[in-house]
Amino acid sequence: MTGLMALTWRLLRGGGRRGLLGAGLTVAAVAVSTALLLFAVSVNIAFQGRADREAWRNPVAATGKATAIETVRRDYVRDRQITVVDLAALEPGAAPPPGLARFPAPGEVWFSPALAELARELPADQLAGRFPRKTAGTVGDEALVHPGELVAVRGQRSDAPVMTAEPADGPRAGAGPMKISGFTGEATGDAEAYKALGLIASVLMVVPLLVFGGAAARLTVARRDQRLAALRLVGATPGQVVTMTVAEAVITAFGGAVIGAALYGLGIPLFTGIEIAGGPWFLSDMWPGVLAVLAVLLAVPLLVGLSAVVGLRRIVVSPLGVAKRETPPAMRFVRVVALLASLAMVPVLRGDSAIVIAVVVIGLPFLAINLAGPWVVGMLGRIVSRSARRPARLLAGRRLVDDPKAAWRTVSGVAMTGFVAGFIGLLSPGSGLLGDADAVDLRLSVPSSQVAEVTAGARERLSAAGVPATIEAGGTGATRVLTASLGKRDAGSVDRARTALDGLVPGRGATSAADEDRSSAQILEDIGTGTVTVLAVSFLVAIASAGITAASSILDRRQTYALLRLAGTPLEVLNGARRAETLIPLTVMGGGSILVGMFCAAPFAISAMNVAGVVTLLVCVALGFAGVIGAGAASAPLLRSVTANPAPRPD
Amino acid sequence: MSVVLEGTGLVKRFGPAVALGGVGLAVHTGEAVAIMGPSGSGKSTLLHCLAGIMKPDAGEVHLLGLRIDAMGERQRSALRRTRFGFVFQFGQLLPELPAEENVALPLMLGGVSRADAVRQAREWFGPLGLGGMEGRRPGELSGGQAQRVAIARALVTRPAVIFADEPTGALDQSTGHDTMRLLVEATKHNGASLVVVTHDHQVARWCDRVVEVRDGQIIPGRHGARPPAGHGAHPSAGHGAHPSAGHGAHPSAGHGAHPSSGHDPRHPVPGQGVTREPATQILPGVSG
Repeated sequence: MTGLMALTWRLLRGGGRRGLLGAGLTVAAVAVSTALLLFAVSVNIAFQGRADREAWRNPVAATGKATAIETVRRDYVRDRQITVVDLAALEPGAAPPPGLARFPAPGEVWFSPALAELARELPADQLAGRFPRKTAGTVGDEALVHPGELVAVRGQRSDAPVMTAEPADGPRAGAGPMKISGFTGEATGDAEAYKALGLIASVLMVVPLLVFGGAAARLTVARRDQRLAALRLVGATPGQVVTMTVAEAVITAFGGAVIGAALYGLGIPLFTGIEIAGGPWFLSDMWPGVLAVLAVLLAVPLLVGLSAVVGLRRIVVSPLGVAKRETPPAMRFVRVVALLASLAMVPVLRGDSAIVIAVVVIGLPFLAINLAGPWVVGMLGRIVSRSARRPARLLAGRRLVDDPKAAWRTVSGVAMTGFVAGFIGLLSPGSGLLGDADAVDLRLSVPSSQVAEVTAGARERLSAAGVPATIEAGGTGATRVLTASLGKRDAGSVDRARTALDGLVPGRGATSAADEDRSSAQILEDIGTGTVTVLAVSFLVAIASAGITAASSILDRRQTYALLRLAGTPLEVLNGARRAETLIPLTVMGGGSILVGMFCAAPFAISAMNVAGVVTLLVCVALGFAGVIGAGAASAPLLRSVTANPAPRPD
Repeated sequence: MSVVLEGTGLVKRFGPAVALGGVGLAVHTGEAVAIMGPSGSGKSTLLHCLAGIMKPDAGEVHLLGLRIDAMGERQRSALRRTRFGFVFQFGQLLPELPAEENVALPLMLGGVSRADAVRQAREWFGPLGLGGMEGRRPGELSGGQAQRVAIARALVTRPAVIFADEPTGALDQSTGHDTMRLLVEATKHNGASLVVVTHDHQVARWCDRVVEVRDGQIIPGRHGARPPAGHGAHPSAGHGAHPSAGHGAHPSAGHGAHPSSGHDPRHPVPGQGVTREPATQILPGVSG
């Protein structure tokens, strides 16, 4: 066994400059895959981290003995949201919430770093005036969703009005006073939604990565085909051949995976800059943990090895398997049936289907595209080679028929991205979805018994703050709504009015219509950010995949190319054939994938396709074509170099 | 006979190694020349320089009076496509193209329509003993059949000179003989000249004369500047009579009859086929 390993290592090292270049391409492919795979894994861990850190502000009622009362309210400054948490201890020595060194005493306030900074920056009558003067400390990172989050924790007496007030109405108004026995809490609805979106994004990123990684593995095998067949011919057992190839693939892949992990480490500061839910990420969010990294470092080489075994089957069965080139059997139509069957399941989905089911139903057609791809490429090849009039197209068509899987590998990444783009293009929320809500007039809900008293108080406070307003009471029933139409409509005046009205009705803040839409607007904005991120990752994979497969295909066919060139075939014809054998399947499969993606997104679509979606799609199509053409063009010098000295033998 | 291709004073170095040290060679119309020599002697380099594949460091190459070594790569490439044909040991056929498209490819590269190119290509299959193989892919052909397809591909553009680099190197002796005979015959019937690089004396015997290269030099006295065969014994008498002499003994007579002589009417013995077979059989599209 050690002898075999030593031989494998020698063959790997002694592959010559071109052999090393080939191995280098595999290492590069695996490195990119690993780095992006770590990102896809980290995204989920990061959203889980945010959900965990936010849970203490979504209290659950005490089941045993209550130790404290907690109430949470959303307040606003400029166009940002502040989470205001009021806490009152019911017994001495109550455990402090996460991020605070001790339980806040009545009259104290603890600011998150971003809020503390903002409170210093803005005039006191616009923000700081809403809180007690005594700042006791800073809320730690472990209690914050993101570094820029605005959080204030106030200490109260248990009999303070705010701790006994009726909870405000509305889904995102916050949590009313609740007796709690600890700060475990539970994930908020928003956090769950973000986790679900994060998972969908991961699926959209991981599937092309797996395809790409598999292509990288087969790339090693393809290059070794000839040599391994020779080994079989001299009597190596199938077991030995498998061992050597897998060992070589695994060694190469492990090198790539380690480089990929390092690349990901270097990329963390870049990834943490992606703002979701109103802020960037902590560095630690994007670190998936030693175990996850080790698991990826182990899984990637294993998957590559497995893929290599599959690729080797033909050689192992027959030593002449690759020595003789025969017309390959046509792809089975069942591949297309699989795609159609997986698509048939999509209409069953509804917008509110369980997330696991949704992921499966989206993931299956996504994978099935990869199954149907080679079949379609083979069929395209037949059509093209039948209709070709010029040599370049004839060469391209025949090549597509000869090895549809190889041609598919070159374009699969972009086709997969087409699916993502189609899926997202349909889901992109339009900017007009929420409309332009009023950001100036402030509304305050009031128990109907206090309407007159609060109206007078509000009028007085607003004029004292220099923001005169007309105040009207609307609505009926137990809770009425006061609307203050401000005379000054600039952002500073609105915040002065908010500050002036703070505490007028315990547990309630004055909010504008725009404030109330802010969470929804934020989620829509975040879907947009997620879209761009997923597409960027997909394109990176797609273009890397196109470039690497293009280069390796030249290396694999260098003798044929050299001899063609020697017999006077112009380089343009060879390059033209290479371009055609990529662009023809790209056009058909890219377009098809976009349609499949849109079909899969249909159950989740909240509105008809909008301008933003169309623009996203068009940009994707343009980038896809440009990327693949560019990747192909980048390997043109390699083609020139392998054909520059076409002498087939040195003598 | 007029000189079709001539190299004079050819020098080629690879780093410190001198592959060609001032070599001259003239090839006449319709002549078959074998370039022989041990490995590393420079024989392939000489072929590459003559064929416009490599630029010599010094010296000149003329094709029908046209200096080709000074041309740019694009022009030389076009020249190789139109005026030269190539047959190699193996690997020159595109594995994904059926045989007939492999043959048609050079015509298509020259601008002939696909239908015409394939039609012209098919005409070569019968005379070369490849009837019925038109739609097969190279992987489905035997080594000898693949070489015959390669010969058809080299000749289909009706080039002035065919260059063959160890054309039988990957074949067994009997198939090699057949292939060589077809190569020589078909080339001559097309009025083309043939330059073969080989280290196999059996192969060289099919040619009109043998040029021996050693250490980058042509060995004097081992080759004649005599016009091609058909007029008498080969100058290098040590190799025996020339196979195509017509009135001389067959070179392989000492070993017995030529493998295919008398067995297969499609594979005439060189020199006899010329008279026995209608020219159209190896010269498609040209009336005999």
